[in-house]
Formats: sequence, C-alpha cells, structure tokens
Amino acid sequence: MPNQLIARGLKRCSTAQFALWVAPWFALLAYGVYAAGLCLVKGLNQTNMDNRFAFGLWIFLDLTIIALGAGAFFTGFLLYIMKMKELKGVIYSAVVIGLVCYSGAIAALMVDVGQPVRAWFTFWYPNVHSMLTEVTFCLTCYLTVLIIEYLPILLKNRKLRDVPSFLVFEFELHKLIYVLAGVGTFLSFFHQGSLGGLYGVLRGRPFAFREGLAIWPSTFFLFILSAVAVGPSFILVTTWIASKLTRKPLVKPEVLQLLGRISGVLLSVYVLAKTVDTLIWINHTSPNRGFAAWQYYSFEPFGTWILFLEIVGFGLIPALLLLSKRLRQRPAILVSAAALACCGIALNRFVQTVQTLALPTLRFDPFLSYWPSWQETGTFIGVIGYGVLVYSFSYRYLQLFPQERELAALPVVEEEQVLVER
Amino acid sequence: MFHTIFLSAFATVALVVAITVLFAVARSRRSLSAGRADAIRWHTDFEALPSRDRQCRHVLTGELASRECPHAFDCRECLTHPKLLARRRPVDQFEEEVFGMPYPSDRLYHRGHAWARPESDGTVTIGLDELGRRVLGPPDVTDLPPEGARLSVNGTAWRFQKRDAEVRVLSPVDGEVVAVGAPNDDWYLRVKPFQAEFDFRHLLMPCEIRPWVMREMERLQLALNGTLADGGTPMEDISAAYPKANWDEVCGQLFLQG
Repeated sequence: MPNQLIARGLKRCSTAQFALWVAPWFALLAYGVYAAGLCLVKGLNQTNMDNRFAFGLWIFLDLTIIALGAGAFFTGFLLYIMKMKELKGVIYSAVVIGLVCYSGAIAALMVDVGQPVRAWFTFWYPNVHSMLTEVTFCLTCYLTVLIIEYLPILLKNRKLRDVPSFLVFEFELHKLIYVLAGVGTFLSFFHQGSLGGLYGVLRGRPFAFREGLAIWPSTFFLFILSAVAVGPSFILVTTWIASKLTRKPLVKPEVLQLLGRISGVLLSVYVLAKTVDTLIWINHTSPNRGFAAWQYYSFEPFGTWILFLEIVGFGLIPALLLLSKRLRQRPAILVSAAALACCGIALNRFVQTVQTLALPTLRFDPFLSYWPSWQETGTFIGVIGYGVLVYSFSYRYLQLFPQERELAALPVVEEEQVLVER
Repeated sequence: MFHTIFLSAFATVALVVAITVLFAVARSRRSLSAGRADAIRWHTDFEALPSRDRQCRHVLTGELASRECPHAFDCRECLTHPKLLARRRPVDQFEEEVFGMPYPSDRLYHRGHAWARPESDGTVTIGLDELGRRVLGPPDVTDLPPEGARLSVNGTAWRFQKRDAEVRVLSPVDGEVVAVGAPNDDWYLRVKPFQAEFDFRHLLMPCEIRPWVMREMERLQLALNGTLADGGTPMEDISAAYPKANWDEVCGQLFLQG
C-alpha cells in the first residue's frame, strides 16, 4: 500500500528503511538537545570559551552554515529575479537547505547567547550599537521569509493539496514568491556583509582588521562575495549527495553544471578580490598597525599553509575546475570542485573566527589555544542531526526536486508480461 | 539618525513580508469564492506532469514534430490549434474500434479518458472511455457528484477508488450536472453546459483517437513496467492482471493526476 503522503510518481524507501535512516540522526539530535540544555541551564561554564576566547565552535558553525545557506537566497534571486528558469529544478531543495542552515544557526546562537527567558529583550530594547542586535533582527526576518517560502513546498504535499484552501493559498503565495525572494536577497546580503564587517572593524585585532570603502571594511564585501560564490556549490553538493543516497537522478545534469558554472565565475571573482585584499593587508594595512604579516603565521599550527590552502587549494583550483566546460561535464570533477569550494568557505570562517582570537595582539599576550568541550561539540552535532532530519523528512514527503518524476529512469523490462488476451 | 534608518529598514522588511502574505490570503479567499480551486488544481497538476505527457495533440497526430501544450490541454485558448485544424483534410469515415476497443465516433474524448456526447436536448453525456474502463476494471467505490453540482473543464467530474488508488476523472465539459447514471449505465453524468452552444474545441475528435490511444498504451506500458504484446486486445480488467503493480501510480499517470 503506497504511503498516501508521498507524491505520486515518486519512489521512496519503505517506512522501516526510513526509520532506520533517521534513527541515528534523531540520536544525534537528542545528544545535541541534552548538551545545549546543559549550557542553557548551567551557563557557559559548560564550554571551553572564556572572556579572551569568546568565539568558538558555535560562531564558526554559525558563520559557515549561514554562508553555505546563501545558496537559498542566491538561487531564489537567480530564478525569480534574474529568470534563470533552469534553476527551478533545485529551488525547493535550496529553500529547505536555507531553512535548515538559518534555523540551525539561530539555535546555536541562542545557546551561545544564553538567557533564553530574556530573548525578547533584544527586540524590545534593541541596542543599535550591538552586532548582536543586527544578527538577531536579520536572522529573525530572514528565517520568517524562509518559513514563508517553505510553506508552498509543504502545502504541495499530496494530502495537504486535497484541502482546497491550502491548494489555493499555495498557488497564490507562489505567485508572489518573487517579492519574498527579493526581500530574502536583501536580508541575506545585508547579513553576510555585516558578519564580515564585524571582523573588518576589529581595530584591536590587526589580523582581522581591514580597510575598505566608506564605513564598510573589505571583509563586508568579501563575505557577501564568498557566500554567493559558494552557495550554488553547496546546493550542487547536497543535491549530488541526495541523489547518491537515494540512488536516483533528481535533477538534470545541466542544472548541476549550471550551478557549477555560476559558482566558478563568482569564485574566480572572489579569489581575485581576496588576493588583492590580502596583498593590500600584507603590504599596507598590517604594517601600518605595527605588525609584519609574517608574524601572524609564526604560531603553529597556523602557518602560511593555511592562507595558501584557503586562496589556492580551496579557491583558485575549484574556480578553475568549475570554469572549464569540459571538466564540468565530468560529475566527479564537478562535485569535487564544488566540495572544495565549500571547504574553502568553512576554512575562511574558521580563520576569521578562531585564528583571529588565538593570535596575540600585545607583547605579553600568549598564543591562545582552544578546544571545544563535549557540550559545544554536542550542540554542533545536534544542529547537524536536525538539519539532516528536516531535509530527510522534506525529501520523503514533499517534492523537493520537480524534475525527479520526469527523470525517473525508463522502467527496465524484467520479464515479458502478458497484457492482452488473444 | 543611523539608528532610525537601521530600525526602519527592518520594519519595512517586516511590513513587506506581512503585506505579501496578507495579499496572498486575500487572493486565495477570492479564488476560493470564485470556485477556481479545480482550475488551480489542474494547473498545478499539469505543471507537474513529465514533459512527454504534456505533448500537444497535434504532436500525437504527427502534424507537429514536438510541442509542449502551453494551455494545459485547453485548446479553446490556443491560436495554433485552429490553424492546424484548417489544414487538415476532411475525413469521411472514422474507426469505431481502436486496438479492439470500441471508440464510437459519436462522441469526443478528453485526454484524461472521459468522453462527452452531445445530446439532442442540449445536454452532454459524460462517460469513461474504453481504455480507462479496462485499466480500472470494476471500481471498488464510485463517488459521483450530486445533481446540481457544477463542473469545469479539467476539474473533478467524479471519483473512483480502485485498490489503493484514488482517481479523479477530469471533466471534459463546463456545466451543471442534471442527471447521474445508474451503476449499469455506460455513462456517468449528464451535464447541461453553461453556454448555450457546447464548445468542444479542447476535446479529441474521432480522427485523433488512434494515435492518442497508441500513445496512451505506451504510457500504460511504462507505468506498468511491462511490455505489451503486439496485436490482440487489452483485457477487460487490466488491474486484475497486475496484482502487485502500484495502481495508485498507474492510474495517476493515465488519468493525469498530480
């Protein structure tokens, strides 16, 4: 008996198989909830962060998944504003990924900020000088937009479509989705930029400090550029993983190649901008602050290899691979290059967050080291578990890939079956 | 000053989002009260069909090499359709049987396997075509609309339940139900069209039936993961011959369900 919640024409595994798949992720989520609960109840003494090392695994996770989740707003922007119709095949999946990334980031941030009972203070008594206010407002607004963008996908569920008011609301809301795509683009751009700007204005941290344009340091623009460059790559990688796990094609290969091409072009621009920014920083910004740039890389394990890896290994190489039409047509290279680009953004956010805080800024400062506590790691893992669960349930019960039905391979004729009577 | 701009930006965003949602709610209420739910369902169902199932009727007849229907099978809105019809040679005789199945030429056929037969009193009789009937076999449950119900083209005419499949048969006409067929009748509904003259431009004519049924047999074969033997006649109850087939999916494909 087919599950009446699953759309017609989509093949899904049995309920038992699905239960087996989600069970470990539920376990990770439960572990994460317990770890986060400890932090919320007992306080941040459960973590290995302190007043000097105030940003750790959670902020790294936040920055990384928000950058990767940029694929949602950027794909929406390309599809609904720039009218790149080919991306229709991945837009729903992109929205779910965006929703997972942003809600996961909010969850981790809430644990990091603590005091959940006073969470509303930030809205009622906004401190406009605080970065946290901007983060809270941006994340809340964009998460609301993502939830509204997710609604039409949810209401496309086979059973929900049977309710006429849901069917009609989904249809009418979808017609206005370009407004939400525009708002989402504005919010996400703004947010990516201000996250980058946060590091660029740290005058007391010359490793992160950057000059820029008017009130915006260069990191403001680099964060936006890196997020839009890698967002499509992350959509590409997640689609490929989903396709491999389910053992069926979910989108046409051309769609993945298009995502790769977009990522390749933008990543090239980003690598160029990042290189120029780094050269200016090495030769001008840092010396003016009283530091020779090589000093930052004299503390192991953060040698110059990390800079090289970020710009060349995870930037230039995937950009070149993704720019080549011939190489893009080879799935292994396409996906590997996209995965490298995703690693690049994670490394960039790691450097910005952890390396910045680890480096001494005064003569008597020590080089700090930090290793997350199990509660921090648990919360991190819980967010990953939550993300996989939301995506898995969405994939199973909603039609995340509109081309899936069409791409269902032509049936293999196993045996001659008699349909006619002579 | 900057603080005001900062907070105003967020207030504007929140306002735009709220207005968008409220606008969608208002439009939904208007569409629901105008009875557009069926049309919307068909529109979204049609969009979800694989492109091979959205082919124009003139592709089936070989008049066009390839074309996806841009009007969701409503040829009344199509500008190409009358031009191609004008080029057709008149046919005097029609086949009354296709692959051994009766397809009488006194009626017109909908691509969702319903037929419509104009009657002398101005009403239109609606039934299920032969392939549709054989695919379903005897339905477990038949849910017919009451007299007075209003039907719209490509909306739900009536429902069947067969094994695990719930099938909506798409209406070939716009009109009001004036009579409901008895279980042994070969028709299901009699409808009084809303317009004085029955507009049948969207329905397949007898000369189009053979290529269409041929295509439908191919689609059935794909849906069943099976092979049709050449020649012969499709059996009376195909569902009985495939006890393990996912009948929900087979019917979904054949009856153009979303």
